[in-house]
Formats: sequence, structure tokens, C-alpha cells
Amino acid sequence: MAARGCAPWWLPLLQLLLLQLGAGAAGERWGGEGTSPHLQSIFLGRCAEYSSLLRPELRDKNCTAIWEAFKVVLDKDPCSVLPSDYDLFIDLSMHSIPRDKSLFWENNHLLVTSYSDNTRRFMPLCDVLYGRVGDFLSWCRQKNGSGLDYQSCPTSEDCENNPVDSYWKRASMQYSRDSSGVIYVMLNGSEPTGAYPVKGFFADFEIPYFQKDKITRIEIWVMHEIGGPNVESCGEGSVKILEERLEAMGFQYSCINDYLPVKLLKCVDHSTHPDCALNSAAASTQREVPSLYAEPSTSLIIPFLVAMALGSQM
Amino acid sequence: MSNYEFSPVMSGDKPCCQISKRAQICLGLGLLVVSLSVVVAVVLLKVRSPPELLEWHGHGTTSHFSEIVLGRCFTYTQIIRPELRDEDCRKIVDAFKSAFLSKNPCNITKEDYQPLINLVTQTIPCNKTLFWSKSKDLAHQYTWVQREFFTLEDTLLGYMADDLTWCGDPSTSDLNYQSCPHWRTDCSNNPGSVFWKVISQKFAEAACGVVQVMLNGSLTEPFNKNSTFGSVEVFNLNPEKVHTVQAWVMHNIGEVSSDSCSGYSLNELKLIVRERKMAFICQDNYRPARFVQCVKNPEHLSCRSQI
Repeated sequence: MAARGCAPWWLPLLQLLLLQLGAGAAGERWGGEGTSPHLQSIFLGRCAEYSSLLRPELRDKNCTAIWEAFKVVLDKDPCSVLPSDYDLFIDLSMHSIPRDKSLFWENNHLLVTSYSDNTRRFMPLCDVLYGRVGDFLSWCRQKNGSGLDYQSCPTSEDCENNPVDSYWKRASMQYSRDSSGVIYVMLNGSEPTGAYPVKGFFADFEIPYFQKDKITRIEIWVMHEIGGPNVESCGEGSVKILEERLEAMGFQYSCINDYLPVKLLKCVDHSTHPDCALNSAAASTQREVPSLYAEPSTSLIIPFLVAMALGSQM
Repeated sequence: MSNYEFSPVMSGDKPCCQISKRAQICLGLGLLVVSLSVVVAVVLLKVRSPPELLEWHGHGTTSHFSEIVLGRCFTYTQIIRPELRDEDCRKIVDAFKSAFLSKNPCNITKEDYQPLINLVTQTIPCNKTLFWSKSKDLAHQYTWVQREFFTLEDTLLGYMADDLTWCGDPSTSDLNYQSCPHWRTDCSNNPGSVFWKVISQKFAEAACGVVQVMLNGSLTEPFNKNSTFGSVEVFNLNPEKVHTVQAWVMHNIGEVSSDSCSGYSLNELKLIVRERKMAFICQDNYRPARFVQCVKNPEHLSCRSQI
């Protein structure tokens, strides 16, 4: 399972390579990446950077104390670490999340970090202090005895209560609890296993912790790869399951296929693709304005016309 | 009513404190001890009191500079570009700091940074160097998506130092967190300015193939001879390694797109490049970078025409 947070696209490849290299070495026992080298220095550097540079209003955060609270899990059996073991760590590092800036996601690592622009546009979990310090990292104690295991660490397939998964579960729960205003969710409609994993961090550790009294509405963006397969769109398959779940919980929600600003970002990489080109016929033709729950679309025509229609109403 | 009488003072009486000789000695010793303690305390205070730092007009060293720089070095070498995982980050940070600690921050030279430069060798693939001038945010947003391109701040040293301020003082081996020299109002040979000049030069010298430069077409002079690109980088490109310089002149969304490529400023750049025996290509509003700008202005007419 790929590391949580906003890991870049090449991380799974790196993990695969490291796993294969590790398999050559003696004694690999877990399925996941070993403890990140220089974990403490990276952790402290990120904490200092976040609280001094990025969000100077958090300058009173005590990064040493936050590290001390975090590292208690490094003394525990790597299959006995619970989300609650991170309670003190969360207590010391938590901070408010600006309204309307929460961005939840599944299967959209790089896109989310690109689009959120280091807290300037949005603040996904990896742009929150307690998400930033652990992003891309891996950690666990050795099975037998003290000291960190740099060869491998357990994944959820090895055991449920492993340090990294429990961290992200705890962080996700907090992030959800502290989110308010409009909640945004970015899903990948080209993901073969479905855009909304019914078992996953978002489904199990974020949605259940949404605070109904703090949330105005939920907006879902189902993004598709440029020229890629349209596996699911709004109102279909697992997205429909998500929509029904949110409705049952009493949330007002909407769904947009290929939300335009994010689509434009995807087009940077595919600037000559037809999906990123002007369709002059569509520009001049009046089409039916879609309902709030947009229909499937593999092109930009519908969002473009919605924008036009909204623009003309102003 | 009290019932006492004052006893008359008799002439010849000694003054009120009738202290024994022993008591006098004790008192004298006590006073001596107290005086000595005061002297020692004053001396210690003077020794321990913070040195008088030179005062400057610019912001002081970034808070937690050392931790940030070390953390960034490890993040870069272990995670972002793991091909550099064997670099010794503690040595690198030490070399970085010794370039300017305990020195007058207006007397920093290129040679001060030479030990640091010699410690880090990073090869940038050909055709993937992206210079920028007055377009930092856009260039970085571009390379964040197009990860095979490198701006200076996507190299190890640039990544470590980006957006930070640092300087020392001759009276201490510590960083000066109060203030640092401002480039214009204090001096240009300050630790930050010299650092960026040194690594910009090295970055240009190491470039090969086609090099790209992102310029700001919304300025009257997109190519400025006083900018780091115009004064350091373009002149340190090696014509034996670099055969073409490609300029992307980006205008702000919403501005009338004048053809900056044919303007005076870009013509100057063209002449310099050609004189140095390299080919020159110019593109107004390079399309992939335009998409990056459009993310902020998706409804704008020029962005609709992109899609």
C-alpha cells in the first residue's frame, strides 16, 4: 500500500525497487518500506519550516516536544501501535484549518499537492502540520528488541495496528474533525478499482468524523486522466455509493466531472492533446445546462458551458 | 505614659556601636566577601552578556535556520532525488555555515562558499535546465508538475536555501537573528546574495543541450541585464555544451498579449546569445506554462481558448 499523504507518482515505483533490492538482502519480513533514514532530522526540519516559515502564526509550536510525543511509537512493537498512541502528538501539533480550505482525496497524490500549492489554494492533510511531518515517511521499531527497522515495516496486510497506518488514521480523524465550511473531495474517475474506495482512509477515517454542524456542503470533483479511461463519473458506480452515503448522513452535496481548474493543471502535461484543445463548434452552440449533479463527460464542453451560463447570469 | 528617662550623654563616651574586636573582624571579613562576590558577578555578567551585534536593515536569520536546512537536505537526498542519497548532509550544512559564521556579513566572497560548492556534485540532465527571471512562482509551479525540469531551486543547494535569510557576525560564532544586511541599503557582498550568485553561476556552467528561460512579458523589460539571469547566468552558459537558448515570455492573464518576442529587450537577449555562438528561440506564452496560469483564472477568455 502506498504511503499516505501527498506522495508523488514515482513513490510506488521507488518502493517496488527498494522491495526488490531488499528481497535480495537477508531477513526482510514486512511488506512495506523500512524506516526512513534520518527520520528525526527530517521531522524536525519540516516542523520548524512549517511553524516558522509557512504559518508563522504557529511559531509557538514546540517542535522538540512534538517529536518527543511522536517517537513513543518507535519503542513499541510494530504490530501494536494504535491510532490513540498518537494522541499527545496530535494534541501538540494540531491547529485550526481555515474554512472552505479542506481538500480530501483518494488516488490523486501528485495532483492534490500540485493543485493545493503549498497551502495557498487549499490545505489538504499533507499541508497541515501533523500531516506534513510524516508525509512520504515510514517508521517502525524492529520486531524483536529495540532500535528502528530500516529494512521493512508492516503494511495493513501484515498487521492492522502498524505505526504508519495508525498515524494516518489518527491524523485523518483529526483533520476531518477540524474541517469546516465547504468540504472538497477529489476522486480519480480513471482508477480501475473505482473512484471512491468503500474501504479506505476517506471512507473509514474521514467521512465518519465530519462535523455536521460545521460543514455547509460537500463538493466532489471526479477527475479523469487526459485521454485516459472514463471508468466512473458523477452518479455512477462507487461515486453513486458515496453520494448516497452523504445524502443519508444529511449532507448537501454536489458533484462535478473534471473540475475545470484542476483539469487545466492536468493539461500542462498534455498541452497538445485534443482534450486540452479548443472545440470551436461547442463554443458557439447553445447546449442544455446540466443539473447540479453533472452528467458524465469526457471533454471540457460541459464545464465550459456551465461557466458560460453562470457568467451570462451575472 | 512611658516611664523612662534619657540618660544624659556623658562627654568622653564612645559612639553608640560598642562592637568587640572579634565582631569587627567578622564584619570586615563579611564585607570583603560581599564585595568580592559583587566583583565576580559583574565580571561573569559581562563575559556572558550577549555580544554587540552589527545592525543591518534587512531581516535577521530565519528562525530555526539550522534545523530547516538540515531537514531539507535529508528530504531532498532521501526522498525527492534519492540518487543523491549518499551525500553527507551534516557535512554539507557545516560547510554552508562556515562560509559566513564569525565573519562580517558585508565582506563575504565567492571563495567563502567554495568548500560548500566542492562538496556537492549534482548532474542536471541535458535539455532540462529552466532559468527564470521575475517569474519565480510560475516557474516553480511549472516544474512541480513537469518534474523532469530543474530550476535552480530544484537543485540540492537551491532547495536547501530557497526563501531563507542567513548571516553571522564577527563577534560571535552564532547566527545573527536580529538583522542581516540588505542588498541595496547595506551591501551586496552579503551571505545570501553571494550564495545565489555562486550557485547561479555553477548552475549555468553545468547546463547542456537546450536551456529554457521563463521571462515575465508583463514587464517593460522582460530581459533585464541587471537580473541574475541577465548578468550571471546567460554569460556562464558554455557554448560547447549548450547549443540553444529558448525563451518563454509569459504575460499575465488578462493583459493584452503584445508580441514581446520581437520587442527590444528580447532582441538584446537574442544578440547576446548569438554572439556567444548559441541559437536562440523565443515563444510568447508557451502553452504548457499558460495552462499553469489558467488554473488561477479558469474563466478568463484566453484560458477558454486554451481548452
